[in-house]
Amino acid sequence: MAGVLEPHGLGRAVLQGEEEREMEIRLEPRQGQLANDLDILWLLLAAYLVFFMQCGFALLEVGSVRAKNTKNILLKNVVDACIGAVVWYAWGHSFAHGENGDGSNAFIGGTNFFMHNSKDISPDEQDKASGFNNANPYFAFWMFQWAFAATAATIVSGAVAERCQFRAYIVYTFVITGFVYPIVVHWVWSKEGWLSAFRVDENANGEEEPDVVFDKSLGMIDFAGSGVVHMTGGGAALLAATIIGPRYGRFDKDGMVQALVGQSPALATLGTFILWFGWYGFNPGSTLVFYEHMYVASKCAVNTTLSAAGGGLMTLFIDTVVFSNPPDISPILNGLLAGLVSITAGCASVEPYGALIIGCCGGAIYYTASKTLKKLLIDDPLDASPVHFFCGIWGVISVGLFATPANVMNTYDRKPDVGIFYGGDGHQLGVQILGALTIGLWTCTISFIMFWTLRSLGILRVSQDQELTGLDISRHGGAAFTYGGDDSANITSANAVTALQMQPVK
Amino acid sequence: MDAFFVLFSGYLVFFMQCGFCMLCAGSVRGKNAKNVILKNLLDTCFGALGWYVMGYGLAFGETANEFLGESSFALRDVPHRVYSNWMFQYAFAATATTIVSGAVAERTKFEAYLVYAFFLTSWVYPVVAHWIWAHTGWLTAFKVFSADLFNGTGVIDFAGCGVVHMVGGLSGLAGAWMVGPRLGRFDADGKPREIPGHSASLALLGVFILWFGWYGFNPGSALAIVGASDVAALCAVNTTLAASAGSISALLLSMIISYYVSGNIVWDVIGAGNGALAGLVSITASCSVVQPWAALIIGFIGGFVYVASSNFVLHVLKVDDPLDAIAVHAFCGMWGLVAAGSFADDALLRSSYPALLDDSNQPVSRNYGWVMGGDGKLLVSAVTGIVAILGWVLFHMVPFFAGLKLVGLLRVLPEQEHEGLDISHHGGSAYPKEMVRSGSWGSAHGGEAYIK
Repeated sequence: MAGVLEPHGLGRAVLQGEEEREMEIRLEPRQGQLANDLDILWLLLAAYLVFFMQCGFALLEVGSVRAKNTKNILLKNVVDACIGAVVWYAWGHSFAHGENGDGSNAFIGGTNFFMHNSKDISPDEQDKASGFNNANPYFAFWMFQWAFAATAATIVSGAVAERCQFRAYIVYTFVITGFVYPIVVHWVWSKEGWLSAFRVDENANGEEEPDVVFDKSLGMIDFAGSGVVHMTGGGAALLAATIIGPRYGRFDKDGMVQALVGQSPALATLGTFILWFGWYGFNPGSTLVFYEHMYVASKCAVNTTLSAAGGGLMTLFIDTVVFSNPPDISPILNGLLAGLVSITAGCASVEPYGALIIGCCGGAIYYTASKTLKKLLIDDPLDASPVHFFCGIWGVISVGLFATPANVMNTYDRKPDVGIFYGGDGHQLGVQILGALTIGLWTCTISFIMFWTLRSLGILRVSQDQELTGLDISRHGGAAFTYGGDDSANITSANAVTALQMQPVK
Repeated sequence: MDAFFVLFSGYLVFFMQCGFCMLCAGSVRGKNAKNVILKNLLDTCFGALGWYVMGYGLAFGETANEFLGESSFALRDVPHRVYSNWMFQYAFAATATTIVSGAVAERTKFEAYLVYAFFLTSWVYPVVAHWIWAHTGWLTAFKVFSADLFNGTGVIDFAGCGVVHMVGGLSGLAGAWMVGPRLGRFDADGKPREIPGHSASLALLGVFILWFGWYGFNPGSALAIVGASDVAALCAVNTTLAASAGSISALLLSMIISYYVSGNIVWDVIGAGNGALAGLVSITASCSVVQPWAALIIGFIGGFVYVASSNFVLHVLKVDDPLDAIAVHAFCGMWGLVAAGSFADDALLRSSYPALLDDSNQPVSRNYGWVMGGDGKLLVSAVTGIVAILGWVLFHMVPFFAGLKLVGLLRVLPEQEHEGLDISHHGGSAYPKEMVRSGSWGSAHGGEAYIK
């Protein structure tokens, strides 16, 4: 009976029990069955971790807003993951990574919408015939890229928290995951994108050679997305916070900042730790393959760790020593995240001590940006734009300073130019600056148009009544929290009903 | 490598215990938080015991008949290399068991719940698992010869709509029905009153952890990664799409219903969270055998099934289910089996399930879903599986809970229920009085952080 079993796929473990696997697993690098499967497993696990960051950000937001808006912020976090998935499936992934097709060019991708092209998504028939189950990484790659797209979209919710209408949120999730973000991905991470480090062209001999912008550079180095993800989301966040206006009571008539204290440092910290944990999928996972890349991946993990630590400690230092505040949790959590964002571009290109410095600078930049926004009377409840946009810019630029020859060679197999601190002559730095400029301009311009339009249509911000009562009671059927051992649940539900009856929602 | 994959997937599924615990905690009133958390914690533990002593053997015993396994009890004579499978399958058993904690929350005796947990993992669940997942089971799709398959097809239940979610959800139905509604759930005229949970953040934390863990539940059910990574990756994509579609459809439908009923637009976060779970449950049977576009449809319909059955359970059956566990697991589980029987794709069946041979040892293809052009045999098998599981579970769990009720061991006293199970049974409230400031929750200028 065992002889006729085709050694393949599911059920083998069940059917054969303790019989040895009959198929030989060859360990030729990058070619064998095991290598293919490990690549896919690596991408999948990384995708799951990055997805879990959605949970982390949800909790961070909940902990940082007032209790009366809890359900609102939770719902937004669930919905942007879901809308993100559907949009990414329909056209997002295609705009980002659809290559070598009639509709694709250096600006935008254009193949395989709705995953319709079976040639792109099915296993290779030739490989199957030779006895391998060629593991086409399409689906695993889609998972990984979706998780990143959802990350970019959800950043904005922090900037508009506590006063944004739900339908505005739906609109901008569509626009960001369906248009703004995938185009940036195409520029920087596809094989055709004009900024991409992976852009190739056929030379006179018919061989593929790099064809990047600025010949003497590597193209834009953004390993896991300081620019692509964090600048894009953070830029949209900045424009959103500016256009939607500050929360009621945030600035008094003299422009002094009033603390609108978040409800739960515990949840905020839990959320931040989950984000940090998930970042170990975000950064090391961006090797995209397993075989021969685990050295780079592990170095990424170390750099990620040190940068987070640097950001948190630097922010602690500035807050307590320079500004003489008692040590408080919220600045340090944001400083951690600032460090994580800052290393996201260069985690595979810098030395660990470089990562530490980059994180410290990120913390300082975050702190400065946060204070500056407040002076400009821009209210960003989660400090989303200081953490993501400004530290994203720093992250992109830091590569042009700190990229070392050995790391660049190890990661990209060539080193036309390196960071200027290591003898580079500025071409790489130039590309990094160009990339930061164009991404920033792109995201800020589209976001400005979008949010301004939403505001002009009157669908961006909730009414002042609803904002004061709290979005949960006015929009989400009741308070999120109903403590009390004496059936105050009844009171809350009655309040909800009364509130709804008093405020018919348009 | 495969063992690592199975183990890691098992850890993810185990983490779903935490997710369901948080979902339960957030969905009950503050005065019962400790009770439901403890129930979740201990069904994880008692479930392990039951699985070890009897469950694994009944499900996957080395020697077995069509109905149940006959060996490998207490891991006797089980080689160590199969231990990863024990762990993975334990996590599934614990998932089925913990579903009931939501349905019977806030009024069930702690002791009754522990006895139930042991009973389900040691007898009711493993037999169903054997039918569908062991290669000797009468309903299984894992046979070599097509003539051995039930109805020529077997039941396609890749990761457990029937085995896990129907078993758990229907047990929840039996339990919730027998234990009766919470005090105050139905008013004097029999109209239901809402009893909201005490923490939407904990509930949604739970939903996110469950979704995350589902990436072990579904892709991990390939039971191998070498040679099966394409199956795992497709499972992950389908899982994502179904969860998203389910959440969106449940959110929209509940918004439309509330607008129709009260004239107000309410975006229900708990509905969206449960909708995501409904989508996840719905895709669990078919995640490896349907195309991504089908996963979107299956999840979307799952959201509808959840909202409709939630109303059915509450208004028609008049059963009080604090978490809507019955709607999400039993009914979406049934839909998930039907969906597998309808949308299963020819080529994907071939790559996810072992090759099939006819009587003359020639390869033969499997029956695929009617929506994809196949005949209806797969659907008929799915419906048979549903009926068999319905019968088996209710036949055991209704008398089980009825028996407990008869000897007064099922429900707590009304005074205890009113006071809150934490104070009456667990040594005090989960939330010390000084943490709760009355009146500041909805205040116009925001409350202070209660922990500060």
